[in-house]
Amino acid sequence: MHASRGSAIARVATIVRKELVDMFRDRRTAMVTLLSAIAAGPIFLMLIFNLIANQADRARDLTLPVVGREHAPALAAFLERQEVTLTEAPADYEARLKSGDLDVVLVIDPRFARDVGDGKQATVRLVYDRSRDRARPLIDQAESLLRAYSRLWGQQRLVLRGIAASVASPLTIEDVDLATPQQSGALVLFLVAYYGLFASVMGGMAVSLDSTAGERERQSLEPLLTTPARPAEIVAGKWLAACAFNALVVLLTLTGFYLTLSFAPLPPVGVPFLFGAREFLRFLVVLVPMILLLPAVLLYVGSRARAYKEAQANVSVLLFVVSLLPVVQLFLQRKEPEWISLVPVSGQYSLLNVALRGEALPLAQLALSYVVPLALAFVALAAVARLISRESILAGK
Amino acid sequence: MIDVDGLAKSFGKRGEVHAVAGVTFDAPAGAITGLLGPNGAGKTTLLRMLATLVVPDAGRAAIGGLDIVRDRYALRERIGVLSDARGLYLRLTARENIRYYGALHGLAGSALDARVDGLIAALGLDAIADRRAQGFSQGERMKVAIARALVHDPMTILLDEPTNGLDIMSVRALRDQLRSLRGEGKCLLFSSHVMQEVAALCDRIVILAQGRIVAAGTAAELMAQAGTPTLEDAFVALIGSGEGLAA
Repeated sequence: MHASRGSAIARVATIVRKELVDMFRDRRTAMVTLLSAIAAGPIFLMLIFNLIANQADRARDLTLPVVGREHAPALAAFLERQEVTLTEAPADYEARLKSGDLDVVLVIDPRFARDVGDGKQATVRLVYDRSRDRARPLIDQAESLLRAYSRLWGQQRLVLRGIAASVASPLTIEDVDLATPQQSGALVLFLVAYYGLFASVMGGMAVSLDSTAGERERQSLEPLLTTPARPAEIVAGKWLAACAFNALVVLLTLTGFYLTLSFAPLPPVGVPFLFGAREFLRFLVVLVPMILLLPAVLLYVGSRARAYKEAQANVSVLLFVVSLLPVVQLFLQRKEPEWISLVPVSGQYSLLNVALRGEALPLAQLALSYVVPLALAFVALAAVARLISRESILAGK
Repeated sequence: MIDVDGLAKSFGKRGEVHAVAGVTFDAPAGAITGLLGPNGAGKTTLLRMLATLVVPDAGRAAIGGLDIVRDRYALRERIGVLSDARGLYLRLTARENIRYYGALHGLAGSALDARVDGLIAALGLDAIADRRAQGFSQGERMKVAIARALVHDPMTILLDEPTNGLDIMSVRALRDQLRSLRGEGKCLLFSSHVMQEVAALCDRIVILAQGRIVAAGTAAELMAQAGTPTLEDAFVALIGSGEGLAA
């Protein structure tokens, strides 16, 4: 009897190397995955910044079409003192608002002067279409100017009657916005976090499915099982290879963000948006559990399928759920509960947002966010090892 | 040397399909033993059990003294298997496909290089050694699969229908290869449903039908046992019909 040749570690390393070579040989898939990872960040940040710049421009110089300006000359004068350009609104302003040609129109009631004279409340109307995001800053600005005018006018009336202005407004509301400059632009934050997360979900997909469902489809699993490589070693090798590729995709995606935000000539949009070396590292630390978990899950899905196509169909269900979680969080108006850290994807998304706001990662929350993904990865890998040691896997030619 | 004793395996929910129903035979070293049987006779299941991929329900078998269940991993280092499924990695070259299996068998460095080069030369793969397997013909794929199964120089070689899908030239080359392995003192067990194939190559023939062995011996012994003048008549007489066999 001769001594056993080769160690488990050497066999795992052999499998990792082979899977990576095999993956990179599939030039088209590898290039598409890697190029889209590095290019997506820049392209998509440019689009967003363009959008923000447009909104900022609009908000700065407010042009307000007015109907019935002659009924309230004092209001018109006030608005013009606030550097608002007043124009005559076209007759078909409602249609134009709906079509998006106009953002907001001020309509002054014809009885304005009479109501003021009678000491009644006078009426002005702001007409807009709230469903259009683009118009929101303008609507808010017009509304706050009108309120300011109303307050000023009321105070003057009280003063004329010998009453202190504070009698009618016992409460002073001062806006103290705790959002640091980095905290603005919630949509941008959402998208960058979302895209970072997405990279860690998609990065290992092709290699995971090819090395499981693809292996079965091309009839190379059975011969592989006749070698001294144990099922656990085969699974470990395939998993490590997929994790390595996944990590590469995440690194490239983050590099894309980093380069764009550090060096590209971005328009001065008033959203100082941080993604420096520190955010880069924090993103990586947060995404590690995803980089390890997703390939494990994909290997499991892949090894249950007999062919690559079949595996892809099953994976799309998984991807749907994964991509939905952050969206649910975005629309959830309440503060996130503590246990969210434990939920894979949601926990990571929540931490990515912390990193993007320029805050240090809370270590307890970070540690919690590792627990479930790592446990799940282990369970998934054990299940794959069991699956490929089952005799029925041979029958499925 | 392969020693099979009462091996049985059933499939199905209640084990109602008796793929292999108590098989006993042996295959000596330095000889080619043919496992002949019609399609569905249980040849692939029997070979999978010997290749340690399927655990038998009953009986036992040992190859070179190692039990196919208890010593499965030690055994895998000593047997070469050309299984029913024999897919290559299409994006790897012939050489890389063979090297991968060599490395999994613990070969490395110059020993691995020498072994792979030797097999490429022996199997006439020089022209395609560094081309990707994607464009290979059936015969070329088969040769690479055989090289892969032999890379660790196993003493026992199991081949499941190795001539399936091959043209005449490839079949002849394969026969030469198997004879030369026999010359090295290896134990070869080779399954086929093609009578001529078995008759042309095998020193001993084991006939399998419906999961059982119906006869075993040399060609002359089989003809004597069946009382027929030709081997073909002997097969038909022993199996009960020629159905599922190819001439």
